Amino acid sequence: MYEELLLELFSEEIPARLQRKALVDAVTTFSDVMENYNAVYDEVKSFVSPRRLTLLVRGLQPRTKSLVERKRGPSVSAAEKAVDGFLRSNDKTMDDLLKIDNYYYVDVETQTFETRDLIGDMITDFITSMPWQKSMRWYLEDQGTLSAFWVRPIRSILCVYDGTPVDVYVKSVGIRTCAHTYGHRFLAPGAIDISDFECYKEKLEAAHVILDYEKKRNYIDMEMTKKAAGFGLHVRYDDGLLDEVAGLVEYPFVHVGVIDERFMQLPSEVLSTSMKIHQKYFTMTYPDSVIAPFYGVVTNVPATEVMSEGLNRVLRARLSDAAFFYKEDLDVTLEAFAQRLSNVVFHEKLGSMAQKIDRMMSIANTKDEHRAIALCKADLLTQMVGEFPELQGTIGGIYAHVQDESAELCTAIREHYKPANASDSVPSTLLGSRISFFDKIDNLVGLLGIGIKPTGSKDPFALRRTALAVVKLLCESDGSILDSETLSWYIDTLTTAYLDQGVPLDADTDEIVKEFLVERFKTFAIDGLEIGADVVNAVVNSFEDPFSLDYRVAIEKAKRMNNITTLDGFDTVRTAYKRAAGIIGDVHVDPLQVRDVQFHDSYMMKVSDTMQVLCSGADVAFSRIIEASAAILEACDNVLMNDPDPKVRIANMYLLSKFVCVVRNEIGDLTYM
Amino acid sequence: MISFQDIIFKLQKFWAEHGCAILQPYDTEVGAGTSHYVTTLKALDSNYWAAAFVQPCRRPKDGRYADNPNRTQYYYQFQVIIKPAPANPQELYLDSLRAVGFDMAAHDVRFVEDDWENPSLGAAGLGWEVWCDGMEITQYTYFQQVGGINCSVIPVEITYGLERIATFMQGVESHFDINWNGKEGDQKLTYGDVLSRFEREFSCYNFDVASIDILLEHFDNYETECSRLLAHSLVMPAYEQCVKANHCFNILDARGVISVTERAGYIARVRALAKSCCQAWIESL
Repeated sequence: MYEELLLELFSEEIPARLQRKALVDAVTTFSDVMENYNAVYDEVKSFVSPRRLTLLVRGLQPRTKSLVERKRGPSVSAAEKAVDGFLRSNDKTMDDLLKIDNYYYVDVETQTFETRDLIGDMITDFITSMPWQKSMRWYLEDQGTLSAFWVRPIRSILCVYDGTPVDVYVKSVGIRTCAHTYGHRFLAPGAIDISDFECYKEKLEAAHVILDYEKKRNYIDMEMTKKAAGFGLHVRYDDGLLDEVAGLVEYPFVHVGVIDERFMQLPSEVLSTSMKIHQKYFTMTYPDSVIAPFYGVVTNVPATEVMSEGLNRVLRARLSDAAFFYKEDLDVTLEAFAQRLSNVVFHEKLGSMAQKIDRMMSIANTKDEHRAIALCKADLLTQMVGEFPELQGTIGGIYAHVQDESAELCTAIREHYKPANASDSVPSTLLGSRISFFDKIDNLVGLLGIGIKPTGSKDPFALRRTALAVVKLLCESDGSILDSETLSWYIDTLTTAYLDQGVPLDADTDEIVKEFLVERFKTFAIDGLEIGADVVNAVVNSFEDPFSLDYRVAIEKAKRMNNITTLDGFDTVRTAYKRAAGIIGDVHVDPLQVRDVQFHDSYMMKVSDTMQVLCSGADVAFSRIIEASAAILEACDNVLMNDPDPKVRIANMYLLSKFVCVVRNEIGDLTYM
Repeated sequence: MISFQDIIFKLQKFWAEHGCAILQPYDTEVGAGTSHYVTTLKALDSNYWAAAFVQPCRRPKDGRYADNPNRTQYYYQFQVIIKPAPANPQELYLDSLRAVGFDMAAHDVRFVEDDWENPSLGAAGLGWEVWCDGMEITQYTYFQQVGGINCSVIPVEITYGLERIATFMQGVESHFDINWNGKEGDQKLTYGDVLSRFEREFSCYNFDVASIDILLEHFDNYETECSRLLAHSLVMPAYEQCVKANHCFNILDARGVISVTERAGYIARVRALAKSCCQAWIESL
């Protein structure tokens, strides 16, 4: 096709987890490369399958664009000869001469090139600049050297420009570009000649390669749902797994297999985790959500009888291992496991998990809490969690149930790692939320208290995620999560507990932790709830001590304010607030001084009236704030607030302060809005 | 049906035809074929190297008293190491499966990312585990680094899990049911006939009976001896002491007498030995 560049780097299997990011990176990287060469193009698209990363550039002009370069010549005081020489060397005349700041200049157009001649260099640059998370080198026999870095060895490069094959030798990977590709590794292994993208797409699909990642993913989703429905079952939707299996096949075939009945007594979480982690199988359920003895699997070739038997057999092997762990674990009580927690390191400077448990005890209150804390980390010692670390908590909850702990306790243990991320919910019970809070606030106090801080993208102890979880717990749990104590009390008590264990923390730990939480609160509100950054700051600043937020109030306020900012009349309120705040400045008005004030001008009387209405009800309606704001603005335009008479001045200031105070409480600090 | 030994014969024949020297196993306890000096030490220079061999592996912690059909503390790998990796190693590998009798049309064979790392050898590589119908049957790696040193020529290492391939090809459920010699009736010898008592007794030894004091003493001795031999520039004997120390540590670990903190210490000690050996090897080239 005219002005179309098709480039395919055909390699050994690209890891599934890297494919989606590669789609994005390939476009930006190749665009940058083309721009470096001054190439002119309309758009770049990318495609990925396990064995290829493909770029399609549309509207790639045959010649690169020329740029104007301003060249400096001799100074204006230089001899004429020098100027002549300068003009001659740039092929310019006197008319082209520019005089800027005592120097002569000429504008010279840079040379342009045939785009086709640059493609080889572009491919080389693309390979060098593509940011793979992990890449490797391989040996180039013809050169006796190692290749450039790529995710896996490149075996062939297809390149067609403007309907004609590009023939260049890409030295860094030792490959000459060609006009053919290969289809599915097993179903269509032969070479396929390609003339342009349309042909590429069609021929590949016929050769069992689906180029469009989303299409492949959707197909799997639909096909799996359909096959499950054939058995009267549902597929347990799993976004991450869907991504992964899509990245593992060039063409998806969906098959439903059978779980051996004897493993159905295993906890369903163990079944589905084992299937997912080890086998990348999808869990299927009955309409009532109970796990069914079937699984869904995506294969790269159509299922055969022997394959189907193989898929079932490998699952049996996996599950017998899980069954072994389950049986062995249940021979030991959670208390006995918990006793071994002194052998588990929490952090090398912060002692063992047993010591962590002791500290959590120091901030707990009820008997139930103490029991839950004593058992909540015991499952770290079980073989099942050793095998499936992602089941920590879940396994503790299941084993607690087996040993007849109360339902509330089992749920609390099971859920005490929640919320795992910004979109995860908080534990369903107050007990669970409290244990989760104790666990996480202890992490923050200890780790921040010994000076560990996340830097850039590095946060090895997941401090940001932990703080976000604490913020969510404070915002979204039942109101009494802090019980009758303050956040500072928890931090101080834990600091003392650390000290008692011989771990002195930073003297400013209380401030550091609170500041860190406020930062996370802002991120949570801005990124998680899509509340404007200015709104969030306005709300945080509206608290007397911005580091001691009442998070529940703050989050509600931020949500409300975010709505308010879109309403008609908000501009009026903001302007009024800024003017009022500006006039008051640092003046502090003692309300006692302003008793029995009479306003004699109609503007201030109106302000006074609207303020009275505003402050009379328990709920402050936004419409009333607007009314008061309008009155304030009008008064500011017409009344000298700084009245020479101190009595009047104080009265004016008092009203303005009150207005600012109400807006700040009800909406937020609008100073920087 | 192909017997266990026939799988080995066919793999040996295949790789011999592709230029590999067919070796015998390393005669000391190792956790993987990678620990055979023909893999680790030989990966470090830039000379051509190609070898294939069966390596019995010992992983004391994986013992299950012969109760688990698929997990044992002793098993066999078929190890191939070729340096530099040829131009079409994946195809060669798939051909080797065909040579063993795999029907590629009937199975789902895939290369699933699995980068390999052995911190105690300072070794790392990129590659895949090869899945056949959802079962990992091979580990396939392009070495990038050994002994903390970047490889000057990139080797490919292909490690077949022989028992898994056999259970697969023979359609049996348990390693112990694998037909070893291909005979039926009275003359049939299974994997269980060869190894189930071995497995049971070694599980007891590893988990319950091994003398902790003796093992600790052995560990210290191997460590001392390794350093002493390095001082004499005897790299291969030194390396062997390092491998033995590592196995000692593995039994102690299975015995459950090593705490988490101690564990890190032991691993660091073995790593230091391995690194010294690799460095000494490179210096001696």
